[in-house]
Amino acid sequence: MVCLVVFAPAGNTQEALYEGERWWAPGQGEQFPDRMSFENNTGIVTTINSAGAVDTAGHPFFEPLGSNGRACVTCHQPADGMSLSLTTIRERWRETAGADPLFAAIDGANCPNLPQGVASSHSLLLDRGLFRIFRPWPPVDHDGNAVSPEFDIDVIRDPTGCNTNPDYGLASDDPTISVFRRPRPATNLKYITATGFPFEPKNGLPLPNDPLTGLPVSGNIMADARVRTLREQAIDAMKSHLQVEGEPDENDIKRIIAFESQLYTAQSFDKRGGSLTDQGARGGPELLAKSRAGVLNSASRSPMWDEFESWIDLQDKPDHLSDEQFEFRRSVGRGVRFFRERTFLISDQAGITSMNFGNPVRNDCNFCHNMYRFGNDVAPGQVDLGTVNHPFSDPQPHLPLFKLTCKDGFEPHPHLGRTVLTHDPGFALTTGKCADIGKLTIQSMRGLASRPPYFSSGFAQTIRESVEYYDRRFYMQMTEQEKQDLANLMSVL
Amino acid sequence: MLALRTAVIVVGTVTLLAPVCASPDSLRFIACPVYRDIDQGPKSGCWLATDPASGIRYDIGSGRSKPQWGREVLVEGVASQDTDSCGGVVLQPVRVAVLQGHCNKHMLPAEGFAGRAFKLPAEVMQQMWVPRQAPTAPFEAQEFVIFFGFNSSFPSYQYSEIILEKAALYALASDPSRIEITGYAATQPYEVSGRTLAEHDELARARAEKVALAFERLGIPESVIDVRWESGAEAMLGGDDGLAEPSKRRVVISIRKFPVGHRR
Repeated sequence: MVCLVVFAPAGNTQEALYEGERWWAPGQGEQFPDRMSFENNTGIVTTINSAGAVDTAGHPFFEPLGSNGRACVTCHQPADGMSLSLTTIRERWRETAGADPLFAAIDGANCPNLPQGVASSHSLLLDRGLFRIFRPWPPVDHDGNAVSPEFDIDVIRDPTGCNTNPDYGLASDDPTISVFRRPRPATNLKYITATGFPFEPKNGLPLPNDPLTGLPVSGNIMADARVRTLREQAIDAMKSHLQVEGEPDENDIKRIIAFESQLYTAQSFDKRGGSLTDQGARGGPELLAKSRAGVLNSASRSPMWDEFESWIDLQDKPDHLSDEQFEFRRSVGRGVRFFRERTFLISDQAGITSMNFGNPVRNDCNFCHNMYRFGNDVAPGQVDLGTVNHPFSDPQPHLPLFKLTCKDGFEPHPHLGRTVLTHDPGFALTTGKCADIGKLTIQSMRGLASRPPYFSSGFAQTIRESVEYYDRRFYMQMTEQEKQDLANLMSVL
Repeated sequence: MLALRTAVIVVGTVTLLAPVCASPDSLRFIACPVYRDIDQGPKSGCWLATDPASGIRYDIGSGRSKPQWGREVLVEGVASQDTDSCGGVVLQPVRVAVLQGHCNKHMLPAEGFAGRAFKLPAEVMQQMWVPRQAPTAPFEAQEFVIFFGFNSSFPSYQYSEIILEKAALYALASDPSRIEITGYAATQPYEVSGRTLAEHDELARARAEKVALAFERLGIPESVIDVRWESGAEAMLGGDDGLAEPSKRRVVISIRKFPVGHRR
């Protein structure tokens, strides 16, 4: 499919879309331009390459490096905000009858032992956009040393069969636990790796340091924080997702990090509201590239989402806007105010309410989504939002369900007790600690419209569904207007 | 790993801060906390607890650690004359420690009480890029003390990190030959609300090692760090809030220039 569409809504700046193929195939060798824009359900997402265009021929981000034909770009597509949307996944299945390397058995199937090329074997990817993440059990730390876990794991339900499989499961010769997660965007990494403060409030200690540079690390890379640096992430991804044999090439690692670190992605245009830089707004990725990362939002100096400050309390509709465009912008403005000011009771959310704030604690959206311009956590952002831990998780019958039992002599989970039912132990697969069961790293809020479904387990098919989850998780009792305002804000970030 | 670890089971170590034996007039009780939901902005809301010995309901929410609903709390504090804005006599200062015992989760509405808005501590951690002012010579022997909650080695947010950073900056600037990090635990049993409470010996070590790990991450050479721990701690005059019993739960960081080869 070739994209030649140009949006030209009334009274707004045109936004030219990328004219090449929407799907970026490994090894296609074209130039990655300095600016690429793609249509999505609600508008246009734009990725800028701050170091200028890149020739992708022979570039390790774009070339298949391992045995399965995938490259980094396979799961980090520019059209999907450098992540991968469910729509794209399904389109690749249709176009290749399941033969695309995207569906590689290692993690693109529910379990590698299943017959390949059959949709049912890839149902979690095709239905939910989920890849299999396989972690060693017991855990190993960042230096490869075994961690003695504080809990035992029992498999309660195993719809994929992988956790009980004799070759791939917990009882195999190489004991492994399989969980299923969405890919995170390989863009805006300045913000993901930013260190806001020298200390981590959730454990009271200074941030750990990168063993190579001695510099503090953010703790915000990957859902379970199993790597500390982009280097470790690249190696982890090469060995697992790309099936690179042996040690990855150091020059490849450096080039991958350099490339992904120069990308900035954000929604740049909205079908309902028009240009996101009109009427004083400053949407789009350019501001992300220019701004300092790691800044804690502050009402006086760095208010959250002040990119859309001028859309708060818009009064008079300018002639160049339709009624619908004007009302949409007013809705975004209300969403900004809601995000900053609407407090609600946050309860039983380990990582937040397990420290000295108390449980419950009254606060607002930017309490956790606190990094100015970005919406992740300035501190290492491992929290149990409840998306995978019961009783707060939705049932999610397509996912495995584990019973984790904290051993005698260790403190139980701070809110869920000694036995926890979870679809994904999350951070606890890295630390082995009961307190970390189900904690997952707070995600980027940029480019959301380009990469549904949402949350690590992909259970929210739309931004609106993710808003609904927060509403019921925290008994926020949002009005219909508030839900729509918040969803509209999230769709233009 | 830290270079030197010495278990010193001695009571009454001489420090630069004077120990005291008597507790000031303070209340101590165990209770189930009640949350009163008053929206005065982020981190507002009140915490109340009733002393089972007197039946008096106290406002226990002004300390740096707040309760967890559904869990018992140990309350230690002094009744103040502060205005009742939550529905209880205000304890100030107050320490609250979350215990393992279960309670019913209970929440009250505002019921006409004003509540109080959250106030940031006078001193908070600066963001990473804000230049830190290094201490300047002459460098005298100096001690830094960090207090912990009952049965906890968790360095409290918006308190511990301020002291840790100051201590680390002083250590980095003064290039000491020795830094002693000594953890203490309140292991002597005492009665509260008809129960006997005492901290475990191992907590002294856990506290000390946590502070030592913090120093290591802040760039202090582990070769100059000596980690010690002591049980049976005495109360210490000059704790941050003047409460005697809570002052036993501490880590003392001593930064000194000992003669080469000196071992205490």
